[in-house]
Amino acid sequence: MKLLETEPKETLLEILSEKLGTTDSWEEKGGVHWLSPDPLNVRELAAAMNECKARFITITAYQLPNEEGFRLEYHWDLDGKLLGFPFQLAGNSIESIYDLCEAVDWIEREIHEGFNIDFLGRDYEPLLLRQGDTPGVNLREEVK
Amino acid sequence: MSYKIPMGPYHPALEEPYKLDLICEGETVTDAKLHIGFNFRGIEHLAETRNYVQVIALMERVCGICSNIHTLTLCQAMEGLTGLTPPPRAKYIRVVIAELERLHSHVLWAGIAAKLMGFKTMFMTCFELREKVMDVLQAISGNRVNYSMNRVGGVNRDIDDPLAVLGMVEALEREMVRTVIPIFTTSSTARSRCAGIGILTHQKALSCAVVGPTARASGIPQDLRRAAPYAAYSEMEFDVPVEQAGDVKARLLVRALEIMESCKILRQALTKMPPGELYAGDGKFDFTNLVATTSTSRVEAPRGEVMYSVSWKQNSRNPSRVHVRTPTFANMPAIRWMVMGARLADTPLIQASIDPCYSCTDR
Repeated sequence: MKLLETEPKETLLEILSEKLGTTDSWEEKGGVHWLSPDPLNVRELAAAMNECKARFITITAYQLPNEEGFRLEYHWDLDGKLLGFPFQLAGNSIESIYDLCEAVDWIEREIHEGFNIDFLGRDYEPLLLRQGDTPGVNLREEVK
Repeated sequence: MSYKIPMGPYHPALEEPYKLDLICEGETVTDAKLHIGFNFRGIEHLAETRNYVQVIALMERVCGICSNIHTLTLCQAMEGLTGLTPPPRAKYIRVVIAELERLHSHVLWAGIAAKLMGFKTMFMTCFELREKVMDVLQAISGNRVNYSMNRVGGVNRDIDDPLAVLGMVEALEREMVRTVIPIFTTSSTARSRCAGIGILTHQKALSCAVVGPTARASGIPQDLRRAAPYAAYSEMEFDVPVEQAGDVKARLLVRALEIMESCKILRQALTKMPPGELYAGDGKFDFTNLVATTSTSRVEAPRGEVMYSVSWKQNSRNPSRVHVRTPTFANMPAIRWMVMGARLADTPLIQASIDPCYSCTDR
């Protein structure tokens, strides 16, 4: 079902907001349409994206200063619009969306290796690091 | 009885190291597991240790084929941080270099595909054609691999005589129509090795979120030059070739037709190139006065979508984070689905049909 095929681009975002059950408005910044409703569950987000036939692009992980944890930015493409959803992690885990979105597999594994972030509910195999190496040594400032 | 055949990490069929563990029943592949990381250089971490000039040179080295695309995407993201808009001539030059790069990448791939089919004559023909494109890139930039054309706010070098490049475009187009496309589409060697092989269904292409020619060969009409135009693409007229079969032949056809579309774009960009400056402002990246601290940019590379997310602190000479999502990173997991059910002898060609770049993938 091509639910949103015929809708104009602005309407697409409104429909998406509706699916996510939020009245928060989208903010266009740095080339991305951002939406950060609070609270937003990553699995609900992935399910809504599937319904809208949005294409998953990537997750960008940032380590925040002063031991404030991490920020994960999930990106999808919806009809040429780049969508961004930030998630602040107080600890070092978040639910995996691998079972909902097959395309997320490698980037979850890469972030697990690069930042030692756990994506709950899935198994890992080594991706970039070869067998036996310790996750969390590439991009994290210090390994705890 | 099933058995496992490891292909790689160092194998004559692979241009760069990666590993494919193929589970076979007789001559038929029943499953496959991919292993990457053999080219991992920690470039994203290195980027955090480089200043605003050095980081452009560093990211140009993510890939040896589409080096220009990486600096273009990075510079566009950095322009988002500073609020700079490149002048019109710079945007046209960016289109010209990007399309020349697409041409040489696609022709290179066609040559390699021909070699893997056992069609050595076509390999030589394609590499001769590619040489013409490389000569033009060298004439414009002085370099054959890392062109150093992009800078924040524009480009480093002008194309003094744009119309002189047209001769190469016409020669390439002629040779494609006269030799390459007819042979790839009608010769029994090409047909028997490519048709119905390595199929990625439309549904699987959607769920794997593949990009570029791999997606377009499975019936997904996505192309950022059309959907989210950058540089001067909004002023260019071109078609986005799409095939439905999802096999190696479809991927080959899509790239062959894209070569023709690239020639069409080049002709427009070269003849309509406006006069003017090569870069905006004083040509410096003012890290003391950023309008945003994070910025994202996407472009359509020869293999598909490249995305850069750049984060920069005010008054810092170095980026605080550069994240790169390359097209092969998105396309490679789909190889598993392409080789399932294929003959073992076809797997080198099938894995090559996505035009993989392992250096890009590993970074």
